[in-house]
Amino acid sequence: MKHPRQPAIRLLTATLLLGLSMTASASTFYTISDSLSGSVKAISDGTSGTSGSFSSDKIVLAARDDAASYVASAGAIRGVHLEAAFMHIRELLPAARQASDDELAQAILAI
Amino acid sequence: MKPGRRYVGPGWPGVVLALSGALVVAGLPAHASPQRDTPSGASSPPSKPPPGLRLRLDTRGLDTAQVDASQRLLDDALTRLPPQFMTRLGRAVPVRWSDALPHESYGRAERTDLLLNRRLLPALADGSAATLRSDRPHRSQRRELLATVLHELTHFLDRDRRLSDDPRLLDLAGWQVKVHRRSRLTDNQFVDRSPDPYELTDPEEFLAVNMEYFLLDPAYACRRPALHRWFSAYFDWSPPQDQCAAGYPFLDTSDDPDAKVVGILDPGRVYQVDYLLAEGNDRLMSRWGHGMLRLVVCAPGRPRGPDCRLDLQHHLVLSFRAFVDDVQLSSWRGLTGSYPSRLFVLPLSQVVEEYTKDQLRGLRSVPLRLERDEVAGLLERAAKLHWSYDGRYYFLTNNCAVETFKLLHDGVPRLAGARLDSITPTGLMRQLREQGIADTSVLDDRREALRLGYRFDSLRERFQAMYDVARGELALPPTTVEGWLDASPDARGPWLGKAGLRTSAALLLLEQAAYRREVLLAREDLKRRYLDRDARAPRFADADEQLQQVLEQSGFLSRPAELLDGQAGYGLPQDEELRWLAAEGARRRAGLQRLGEQLTAEVRELLDPAMRARLDGAQANVTLLGDRLRTLHEAGDGLRLP
Repeated sequence: MKHPRQPAIRLLTATLLLGLSMTASASTFYTISDSLSGSVKAISDGTSGTSGSFSSDKIVLAARDDAASYVASAGAIRGVHLEAAFMHIRELLPAARQASDDELAQAILAI
Repeated sequence: MKPGRRYVGPGWPGVVLALSGALVVAGLPAHASPQRDTPSGASSPPSKPPPGLRLRLDTRGLDTAQVDASQRLLDDALTRLPPQFMTRLGRAVPVRWSDALPHESYGRAERTDLLLNRRLLPALADGSAATLRSDRPHRSQRRELLATVLHELTHFLDRDRRLSDDPRLLDLAGWQVKVHRRSRLTDNQFVDRSPDPYELTDPEEFLAVNMEYFLLDPAYACRRPALHRWFSAYFDWSPPQDQCAAGYPFLDTSDDPDAKVVGILDPGRVYQVDYLLAEGNDRLMSRWGHGMLRLVVCAPGRPRGPDCRLDLQHHLVLSFRAFVDDVQLSSWRGLTGSYPSRLFVLPLSQVVEEYTKDQLRGLRSVPLRLERDEVAGLLERAAKLHWSYDGRYYFLTNNCAVETFKLLHDGVPRLAGARLDSITPTGLMRQLREQGIADTSVLDDRREALRLGYRFDSLRERFQAMYDVARGELALPPTTVEGWLDASPDARGPWLGKAGLRTSAALLLLEQAAYRREVLLAREDLKRRYLDRDARAPRFADADEQLQQVLEQSGFLSRPAELLDGQAGYGLPQDEELRWLAAEGARRRAGLQRLGEQLTAEVRELLDPAMRARLDGAQANVTLLGDRLRTLHEAGDGLRLP
């Protein structure tokens, strides 16, 4: 049921060479590196995905860094991606409406 | 003032506009042209001659057929003019077929007379002009002549009324204000997707050319909506027009393979527009930050409201960037205008990730106080820039702040009066606040601002907090977070399996940061070796070839109009062009992906083995921490998401 993310290394190497053009400020200056891989994206963050579940849900996956910060800081650091994932999960999953923010953040982190 | 002159540009690709009678009728809105019965005044004088415009054909030397055909042409032209045009140009204009015009010219507005090129008369008289294909956008030669009459009459009106001096027209047309006002750019850089490049000559020609399309093309309202509104408002009248699709198309350059190549910007789904400011760093080209606009787009089906601020995956960023078609950014070229300045439409998630995680720069996102119609105007302007603008980037005088100022100035007429002419992104933020346009109070409570996405903190801000948590539980040897990140992945590895949930979360964030740092280091190393031509190994040459191909084939990502080169149409792409864009865009994207894969194969071999080991090590650590977090979570019987 779980499968590791394979494309990580492939993407990384593509980024590496394309990244040749990355210089002073990749953001004011659109360079070729932006054309294929906007940045060092989608590096494996230790998740394992199954399709059709929250573990492949873009909103939830985008909240993983914020969830890690939240759990590690015991709620002191609370980013907007986590807030968005809370709203999203509670909209879709009635059971999650009873869960606390702490429980939900941990669940996102464990995906 | 120069005489109005209308040349046929050689080599302009033939463009067929969907101007069939059926379309005109189908697209006819409630207000049919009230001009159909207006007498022309030239022949068959009406019983009550109006005070308005009359065209007096010089019939000397013309045979009956030629007179009849000419008269029909002039009558046709008059029926298409707005009533106010007729009254404002309230005099008789002599019309004459002339042998003196250059071969390629259709007509000319002299001081008093309207001249038509006599070369074109025989075909008009024998009726063949109706089917004779012109190599211009108006389809047939007769239609070109009709457009020419309207064009030259517009010059006469303009000389009396100076329409082409109207600042709003100049804004819309693309003779943009300079950053410290009082003057405008002398060049019009809206060069792509023009119906007729002759319009770029000067404002007088722009007015006359656009009048042709306003009057003759029912799609003008959809292709150049702002200009259509300007003409309609000026004449208090509009001709039959097509029904326009909702929203504005844009090329989606996100790296999400599931994304459609052409997205639609629908103003109805945009809750707010923010000024998005990336903090500066100590590098010359980014010291003053980067200014962008963020579109707070609601998820499909969600009514506009505060919840939309959390629909992050739908938010878009309008970002002016210099397009660097080289592996090395040159400060000198940045200062001297060698790079094109183009408007990119990017997913917010990509922008936030790039700044906060790769560049370790924070972002501030402050809502602008705009009315609904102002949001729509701004998006419409952005779409025009996206498809037509090919500016030059100047580090000091035409950078992202200046371009964003011009977008606000031209897209929201109310803001044209505001003082927003800073040449730095941080300065623009200050001016927006001082003018009461940006609501910076959302930043007052730092934690709330972070929670609601008015502020995106750089990961660097989180590092020390994370490391303090980890060091509190495990007696990690390095005293600083930098020391921890500098250690080799193998040295960090043994600690990772010992941590509890909270510390594992902290270590995961740090390990990901370490990985990103390794990538950046490897990238710098590769770049240095690549640019050092003497040392370039044969293997580098292979990769170089792939890279050059990528450089050549990715231009369309910054200049979307390139995808439509050789296709009919102008302005905002309509149905047929959108279908072409979807197919052609998908083909190009697949081609780039293929190239990227080849490049990947080449570059794998080029990585320094030690660097590769560190990358693999950091990757393994991330995986290990992910597993550990899951195990701990299951052991603690935590909530599980399906």
